[in-house]
Amino acid sequence: MTEETAPESAMKYQRAKLDARGRTKASARHTVLISISLLMLFPFLLTISTTFKTAEDVKGNPFGFFSSFSFENLRTAWTVGGFSDYLWSSVLLSVPSTVLVVVCATLGGYAFARLPFPGRPVCFYVVIVGLLVPFFAYMIPLYFQLRSMQLLDSLVGINLVLAATQVSFGTFFMRAFFADLPTELEQAARIDGASEWQIFRQVMLPLATSGIGALTVYAFLQNWNEFLVPLLYMPSGEHRPLTTGLYLFLGGRTVDIGPLAAGTLITILPVVLLFLVLQRQVTQGLVSGAIKG
Amino acid sequence: MLFVLPLVVLIGVFMVFPLLNAFYYSLVDFNGINPTPPWVGLDNFTEILQDDKVYAALKNNVIWIIIGTIAPLVLGLVMALMVWNARHGSAFYRTVFFLPFILPQVAIGVVWGWIYEPSRGWLNRVLDLVGLESITTGWLGNPDTALYAVLATAIWATVGFVFVIFLSALRGVDLDLVAASMLDGANPWQRVRYVVLPQIMPVFLMVTTITLLGGFKVFDIVLVMTGGGPAGATEVLGTYSYKSAFQLNRISYGTALALVITALAIPFAVWLNRIQRRLALEGGNV
Repeated sequence: MTEETAPESAMKYQRAKLDARGRTKASARHTVLISISLLMLFPFLLTISTTFKTAEDVKGNPFGFFSSFSFENLRTAWTVGGFSDYLWSSVLLSVPSTVLVVVCATLGGYAFARLPFPGRPVCFYVVIVGLLVPFFAYMIPLYFQLRSMQLLDSLVGINLVLAATQVSFGTFFMRAFFADLPTELEQAARIDGASEWQIFRQVMLPLATSGIGALTVYAFLQNWNEFLVPLLYMPSGEHRPLTTGLYLFLGGRTVDIGPLAAGTLITILPVVLLFLVLQRQVTQGLVSGAIKG
Repeated sequence: MLFVLPLVVLIGVFMVFPLLNAFYYSLVDFNGINPTPPWVGLDNFTEILQDDKVYAALKNNVIWIIIGTIAPLVLGLVMALMVWNARHGSAFYRTVFFLPFILPQVAIGVVWGWIYEPSRGWLNRVLDLVGLESITTGWLGNPDTALYAVLATAIWATVGFVFVIFLSALRGVDLDLVAASMLDGANPWQRVRYVVLPQIMPVFLMVTTITLLGGFKVFDIVLVMTGGGPAGATEVLGTYSYKSAFQLNRISYGTALALVITALAIPFAVWLNRIQRRLALEGGNV
């Protein structure tokens, strides 16, 4: 990404055109932008501030900023609040489903981009259906289907459902990625007598790592943040992940603000850290994910 | 062939099959227990047409679609134009503005619930501070304000996403044209309206459709913040369908309603798809 070219050239002509007046305008602009930044960060600061208050202080002044310090709320949320279990469940629900999405989408995306095979149009049509139909349309029948398959409340079942909701987008994403790769290497390998699997495994796959990385980050975020799937299909509360755990905790909003804040922090911390470390992949993934329609 | 097998099985079993089932459910009267539900034809759909609660929810969806589309577009565009023109800090603003978009909706709902709290919440405290006590209220508990309070939260969460898309589109804008219009004496508004905006129009349309489609599907944030209350003031089609099925055991009715929501959204989804294809033809990338 050539991040700075436009602002830079914008800068050049601005410099030529404007002098002192431009500088006042620029500082006014930054004042507005920094105010917006504060508004964006405010809920984060509020969560952190309330998390690290003493229980006493939460009772009297739950939303006053940084007026006391303790780990009480984190401890309560982690143990009594069950957030250690929720965290573990979130991992068990988002890691396998992400692996499943990435494996299926990479294989499928490669096949749709590079391998003509009988039945390809039909299979591709199935993927398009998966891309266009919102989860909403079939979520109710899926509940009864999972019930009769004995997959309600099951880690296996929920992982499969989560993977199924992501895999169409993933396949499209990987297909576009493989389609852009040069064909020369593939042809060379074929002349050398490599099998289709060897071509995929040894030639194409290493070239696709950046696409696979972006898809992994995207799928993981989606699965981690998923709310409706575990809410509907894990009614017993066994293996409850952070999102639905937090929703359950919300019932006692006025009573337990301290641990609730700590639970919120535990829920968002992994995604925030992921975003800060892999910002480009996260942004790219979420933007193309939203554009899928 | 083996390459696509896992994929097709996964989609077939957990998406296509339940989707076909959804059509069946909508044509019978299933309450979750009866093994052979009676056939009722289109009764569920005619009931939807006569259900006042459906129209009340639809009205809320329409409000959501209008405000929830226009506000992020305008704010996101203004923010993108400001950062585009700024000499420094664009990386910082991109990070901070996009941050809310990555959060789970539940967490967003929890924290904004505190901000809207009647007595100790920051919104009322700030209003008090600037002398606007008269408009303080229990934002989520007041039927007149609840929908807009939830909507404002959703806008807070999506504006950064719109901003990032616009900012990357603005990088493709032809600066010579902008400079030429300045020499011709165009004021900033004219520059945006007649020079910049036409160049990013496809992206503008695409973002419009995305936020628009989101207005049909809105669910999580409403359920978490108000549960559709108070007194149905924030009920949207999504929450109403969910409640019909899982709280009132009207499985078939809820399913039929979910299909109606999907059908309402389809024309916009098709439109979005067309815009994207046009974008791809023009070689624009986002």
